[in-house]
Amino acid sequence: MKNLTAIPGVPPLIACFALLVAWEIGARLIALEALPTAWETLRDLPAILTDRQSLYDILSSIRRMVVGFALGFLFAVPIGLMMGRSRKVAAFFNPLFMMIYPVPKAALMPIIMLWLGIGEASKTLVIFLGVSLPLIYHTYQGARAVGEKLLWSGAAMGMSGRERLLRIVLPAALPEIMVGCRTGLVLALITMVTSEMIVRQSGIGNLLFNSLDLAQYNTVYATIVIVGALGFVLDLIFERLRGVVVGWADPVHQIAVGAA
Amino acid sequence: MTAGRRMSELAIGLIPILLLLGLWQYLTAFKIAPPTLLPPPGVVFARFFQLLADPAFLGHAATTLYRLFWGFGLAVVVGVGIGIAAAGSPAIGALMRPLVRVLAPVPKIALYPAFILTLGFDHSSKIALVFADALFPILLATYQGAISVEPKLVWSARAMGVSRLKTLFTVVLTAALPSILTGCRISLVISCIVVFLSEMISSTEGLGQLLVRAARNFQTVDMFVPLIAISALGLILNAGFNLLRARLLKGFPEEH
Repeated sequence: MKNLTAIPGVPPLIACFALLVAWEIGARLIALEALPTAWETLRDLPAILTDRQSLYDILSSIRRMVVGFALGFLFAVPIGLMMGRSRKVAAFFNPLFMMIYPVPKAALMPIIMLWLGIGEASKTLVIFLGVSLPLIYHTYQGARAVGEKLLWSGAAMGMSGRERLLRIVLPAALPEIMVGCRTGLVLALITMVTSEMIVRQSGIGNLLFNSLDLAQYNTVYATIVIVGALGFVLDLIFERLRGVVVGWADPVHQIAVGAA
Repeated sequence: MTAGRRMSELAIGLIPILLLLGLWQYLTAFKIAPPTLLPPPGVVFARFFQLLADPAFLGHAATTLYRLFWGFGLAVVVGVGIGIAAAGSPAIGALMRPLVRVLAPVPKIALYPAFILTLGFDHSSKIALVFADALFPILLATYQGAISVEPKLVWSARAMGVSRLKTLFTVVLTAALPSILTGCRISLVISCIVVFLSEMISSTEGLGQLLVRAARNFQTVDMFVPLIAISALGLILNAGFNLLRARLLKGFPEEH
C-alpha cells in the first residue's frame, strides 16, 4: 500500500473513485427520484460533452473565465507590488480593500447588468472583480516579505528603482503570487458559475438550473460533475505550472478555498 | 509605530473611500448617470437606515442570519473535529488528505442544485451550501495548526500520564487555537457571502432574495440596500470575531 500511495496523483484518484462508490451506494440506499446514482449520471456525460449547445455554453464560460482572470492579473500584480514596497501606497489602498472584501462580487451582477447590458462585458467584469482582491493580497504579502538586504545590494550595484522592482522584488514575490493565482483561478471559476446561476442566461450555471427546471436530474448531476472536475483539473494544472515556474521555492501547501 | 504616524496612515486610507463616494455623488448630482441606473448615495443610505426599522426587512435579515449561523456552526464543529482527528491519527490523516485534495478546489456552489433536489427549497439546502463552503478553510487550518504543535508539549502531557485521546483535546486543540480561529474567521466571511448568493439564486426570503426582487421591479435603490446590509454584516461579524479572538488568545505569543 505504501508504494502505491507514494506515487503522486494516485491518492486523489483513489479518493475520486471512493467518492463515486459512496455516491452510488448512498443513492441506492436513499432511493430518491431526485438523486440518481453515480453510474446513471456518468452515463449522461458523453451526451452533454458532445451536444453542440452545451459544449458551446461550457467553452464560452471557460473563455470568459480566462479573460477575466488575465485582466485581474494585469491589474492586481502591479498594485500588489507597489503596496508591498511602499508603506504609503499600502496605507492608501488597505482600508478600501478591507471594505470591499466582504461584498459578494457575484451579487453585483444585476447592478452591473443595468449599466453595461447583458453582454460579455458584464460577465467578464464580475469575474475580474472576483479574482482581483486575492491576487492583490498575495502579491502584497509576497512583495512585503522581500529581504531588505537584497534590495540594498541591488542599489549598491547601481540598479535603479524600476530595475529593482522588476529584477528583485518580482522574482522574490513570485512564489506568493503563484499562490494568489491559484486561489484566484478557483475563485474565477466560482464567480463565473455563481453569476451565471444568478442571471440564468448562458453558460454552465444556466445549464445547471435549466435542467433543474426541466427535471432532467441526470443532466443536473452530470453538470455538477463537470464543474467539479473543472475545479480539480484547474487546480492540478496550476500546481504543475507552479512547479515549473517557481520550482526553486519551497512548496507552499495551501489548498485554494474561497467564495465569490 | 508612533501614534502620529498611525493617524496619518489612517488619513491616507480614507482618501480612496472618500474619492469613491465623491465620484458617486458627482455622477448623480450632475445627472451624468440617470437616477434609475445609479441612485444618489444620500438616497441609498437614507433608505438603508429607514429599512433598519422595518420589521419585514429585519425578518429577512434574521432568516439570513439563521442560515448563516447554522451552516457556519456545523462547519466549525465538523471541521475542527475532523482536523484534530486527522492530525492525531495517521490512518485518518491518510484517508482525509486525498479527499480534501479533491473536494477543496471544487466550486461548492455547483452542488447547490443537488442540495435543492435532495433537501428541498427551504432552509436546509442553504445551510448545507454554507456548511460545504465554510468547512474546508476551518478543516485545513485546524489540521495545519494541529500537526505543527510543538511535539514536546505532547510528550510532556503523555509523560504525565494523560491518555492519547485526552492529550488531543487538552493540549493539541489548545495549542492549535490561533490557527483554528484564523480559519474560522476566513470561513465566517465566506459564509456571509455564500448565504447571500444562495438566497439570490433560489429562495423565497432573506436579504439575497430582496436584491433579486428589487432587480425584477427595477427599484434600483432597493437593489443597493441588501448589498450594503450584507457587506456591513460581513464587516461587523469580522470585527466581532477579531475581538473574540483577541480575548481567547490572551497569553498566546503574538503571531500576526
